[in-house]
Amino acid sequence: MANQQIFLLALLWVVFWGAIGSLFTPRIYSRKDLDISRATLGGALVGAALGPIGLIPLWIYTPRFTNRIYAAASIIVLGILILAFARAYPDNLCVSDGGFVASQVTNGIVIGLIYSLMALGLTLIYSILGIVSFAHGEFYMVGGMVVYFMSASTLFGRAGAWVWLLGAAVVTFVIGAIFEILFLRPMGEGKIERPKEYAILVTFGLSFFLQYLVQGLAGANPVKAPRFFDFPVIELPNAEDPYLIKTTAGNLRLFDAVSIPNTRFVSAMISVLLLFALLFFLYRTWTGRGLRAVSEDRQAASVAGINPYRMNTLAFALGGMLAGLSGATLVQVFTWLPQVGIPAAARSFVIIVLGGMGSLPGAFVGGIIVGLVEALGAGCVPDPARAAAYIPAYGMIILTLTLLLKPTGLFGREL
Amino acid sequence: MMKRSTLLRIGLPAALAFLLLIAPLWIGGSPYIMHLAITAFYYAILAASWSLLAGYAGQFSFAHMSFMAIGAYAAALYGTYIRITTVATETCREIPFFGRWLVILDPIGISQSSQTNCLDLARQTMPAGSMIIQPSIWWGLLFGVVAGGLFGLLIGALVLRLRSTYLALFTIGFSEILRAVISAEIDITQGQSGLEMAPLFPNGITLFGHSYSASDKIPPYYVMLALFLVIMLILSWVVSSRIGLFIRAIREDQEASAALGVHVVRYKVLVFTITAMMAAAAGVIQGHYIGIITPNILIILQMSLVIAMAVIGGLENIYAAAIGAVILLFGLELLRNSFTIGPVTIDMTTWRLVAFGLVLMITLRFFRNGLISPLIDRVMRRNVARETVALRNAATAAATPTATTAGEGGSDE
Amino acid sequence: MSKQGDMQQELALDVNHLFKNFGGLQVLSDVNFKIRGPELIGLIGPNGAGKTTLTNILDGALKPSGGTVYLNGKRIDTLPPYLVARAGLGRTFQVTRAFRRMTVMENLLVPAMALHATASRREFEEKAREVLDFLTMSHLTNEYGRALSGGQQKLLELGRLLMLDPRIVILDEPFAGVHPRLMEIIYEWIYRVNDEGKAIILISHDMETIFTLSKRLLVLNYGDLIADGDPDVVKDDPLVKAAYLGEDEPAPASPAGPESAKFALPTRQPGQDDSADDEEGRVNA
Repeated sequence: MANQQIFLLALLWVVFWGAIGSLFTPRIYSRKDLDISRATLGGALVGAALGPIGLIPLWIYTPRFTNRIYAAASIIVLGILILAFARAYPDNLCVSDGGFVASQVTNGIVIGLIYSLMALGLTLIYSILGIVSFAHGEFYMVGGMVVYFMSASTLFGRAGAWVWLLGAAVVTFVIGAIFEILFLRPMGEGKIERPKEYAILVTFGLSFFLQYLVQGLAGANPVKAPRFFDFPVIELPNAEDPYLIKTTAGNLRLFDAVSIPNTRFVSAMISVLLLFALLFFLYRTWTGRGLRAVSEDRQAASVAGINPYRMNTLAFALGGMLAGLSGATLVQVFTWLPQVGIPAAARSFVIIVLGGMGSLPGAFVGGIIVGLVEALGAGCVPDPARAAAYIPAYGMIILTLTLLLKPTGLFGREL
Repeated sequence: MMKRSTLLRIGLPAALAFLLLIAPLWIGGSPYIMHLAITAFYYAILAASWSLLAGYAGQFSFAHMSFMAIGAYAAALYGTYIRITTVATETCREIPFFGRWLVILDPIGISQSSQTNCLDLARQTMPAGSMIIQPSIWWGLLFGVVAGGLFGLLIGALVLRLRSTYLALFTIGFSEILRAVISAEIDITQGQSGLEMAPLFPNGITLFGHSYSASDKIPPYYVMLALFLVIMLILSWVVSSRIGLFIRAIREDQEASAALGVHVVRYKVLVFTITAMMAAAAGVIQGHYIGIITPNILIILQMSLVIAMAVIGGLENIYAAAIGAVILLFGLELLRNSFTIGPVTIDMTTWRLVAFGLVLMITLRFFRNGLISPLIDRVMRRNVARETVALRNAATAAATPTATTAGEGGSDE
Repeated sequence: MSKQGDMQQELALDVNHLFKNFGGLQVLSDVNFKIRGPELIGLIGPNGAGKTTLTNILDGALKPSGGTVYLNGKRIDTLPPYLVARAGLGRTFQVTRAFRRMTVMENLLVPAMALHATASRREFEEKAREVLDFLTMSHLTNEYGRALSGGQQKLLELGRLLMLDPRIVILDEPFAGVHPRLMEIIYEWIYRVNDEGKAIILISHDMETIFTLSKRLLVLNYGDLIADGDPDVVKDDPLVKAAYLGEDEPAPASPAGPESAKFALPTRQPGQDDSADDEEGRVNA
């Protein structure tokens, strides 16, 4: 039992010195008139990593916080925590079973890819309209519902997954476009006072509306779509001893250790495809370039003949569509309810804040980090009942820490 | 003219308050309507205090229900784990307390009924005649309000640098973490099954020569009404005082306010703390009235309701927000009955919320001051309007061609 | 109306060796000047010269990288803006910052109530009405700030300063985009406030008004205070000419376009800011 306190002590130590570092470093840097924009996070990291041994020299020499310092300190913090965890819980699967860890990590990355897609939609909306859509989770939910109902209908049931995905994309795109034209366009035209707050509340209203509309139409029973595709059966290097790859229709097993369910794998692959499609759209088509131009400099873009209102509508609809597609692929993984959008939206908020609001690579990296944290958090935290209850909190802890320590996120523009 | 407006400003609310005080004469017989009324006051407190925070101070916090929950849970934990005994128990953690003992029960035996609690152990050894006292819930109210205020202070200080969207995200994050913690720490909070809270008057009470039992609705009606009236009084004092003036100035322009001598940090944190305490007080009373508190009060729907009530009533008017809450609560309740048209059954418990969402969006888009607040303005500001028109006419008559009228002025923004 | 005219005690602003750099960019270097008594001072300089930065440092919104500012012997460069305001330094903003959803009366009450912790609203309403009379805005008492024209909003800001009753006032582009008739009121305002014994620092791109109004001219150029003195003398200073005409001045990299480097420019467009403050979002680090 006493062993377990090692981890708790390590955690307290790290948090305590991190807090000290984040509180005092900016003051010391500003007194010496140095750039303080990185001092909060830098101080927190150095404090957490090295405690007083790190902070005192830091405060004396006040070096510039380079990415190298960030990285080194982060690795040390992670190292301390992992070591303490391993000492405290030697029997935990995460410590004793390398295969389990590999499996959790792979699954974390796989689910992170799907999260990224949804967060990309949100970050796209933010970079063009400058608002966060609080209805993002409902687009995700609607996308999943559309796929479920198409797959369950006699008309589209045999049409195949690509048609269902297309259906989800069209429905969420249209909802997004209509809502943008009716409720957000007046904002751009300057008809609304305090547009930021209006945007928060009106998208919040849309979220409420869509959630109960779907509940009214579809009922509140949990549903789940069938598997989109089966794996072909592959056993490598040979059927007797398939230690490299072994697939069944519903599962993929790598190196005899890592196991990925078919549905997750397929969802992640579709997400990657869509991601490339999005990149192609943004960087290789005129409309996509127009979108990027608007996000860079609204005025210049409109002088150059791009209609910013059209771009707003397009961005909002496209963002909603990405969330919808994300839900459409995940409805084969999770059971679906009208309320599934809420935690999904919360997760997207975490991802874009962590990655940096409006940053596309940030949304991608943030999605994978959040996927990893959730997978490891759910797999490693000792008390399973408690671990499950805390799952929604992991992301929120990331969110609050990011906002307090580095509000611009990983890839946000420095202010 | 001055007289009439003062009359309205004081007389109208006073008349309304009086009506609410004597309302049980008509509706007291129906526990259902009384229950609705109590719930309506509860939401009115939350909506009005949120309107101070969001509408006046411009801090769109989604953590309001968290403060409510903190208050309620603080009171519930106090009621569950704190006892006062005349003799030391020797088995529990305890501290001397004015010649008696303040006992802190351990969670064992409270969440798992199979085990015995330390107090039960002590009971067997305590001398005859020694008493175990459940301390008054009114101290719990105080405790809850203080806890809510402390968290309000903390959150207010943490979010000083965050604006609009970031503030909303941060407060949603806080709210979700709180919900996760309450759900997860089953040993202490009993998780989803919730903590029981004693009724407001466990032994009943005698009012106006009539004795009421613990489950009667009339005493809680008056308690919640009293809290509502007190909070409305405090709120109306706040908005008409310098605090109200400054927080609106800060909402409009933080830098300009500071340049004019306003201590921005102090007033931002202050308004967070005040509104958190109000929400906490409402939470404690509602918890005692309902009898149980669960983490579900923190689901986003609850916060949505409060926000929608304040917005539809009128975000920038505490009275409108409160009236909006009452009307919407009764409105939603009236729309509860499902009906059947031909083969289709309309499940109104869901569709009324659809309509609600739609009304919320339309109000935001087309009635930015809400639906109730313009009505109040029309009654209250009629004199001001007349005075303004007179001044305008005078200005025009004096033929000062320069003084552009307000209408034209607005166009060059 | 405020009867402080000659009652105003000594007035001294000392700006000593003021430096400011943002990261590697030197925005102010070794700025020194003193103000004694109710002077009327013009502060000019091309775009990016550091005028707004200087204002923000005097006002407390920015902390200097080096140097000190004393107002009547009290050090104010370390104080937050609200204490600087209470210490007696008031300012207006280049882009008007009227409280848009508060009435004109409420706009005026904010500084008065912030300054006097105990006084009642009624006392100040009386004073506010006098201020509005002076600004010829009494017919707008109950209008919301947003209903006012741009020029009226500028007047409202000046009215707020009267209510704050500072010893020294910094006006950042008070004439930009203002109707000529309202400009007269602003002129009158400046003379009156000056007569009451307050010092005024006037920042403007409009050379005509600067030369008409000010008795002393400060010229900033890329963070250096290159001239300080009588406007007619300063005008012929070779350094100043160089700064404005771009003659043999090794122009450092700056956002200032060529058109901003002309002397005696006509009134510039409002809303053109030489420091990119006020980025939307959470800012305010």
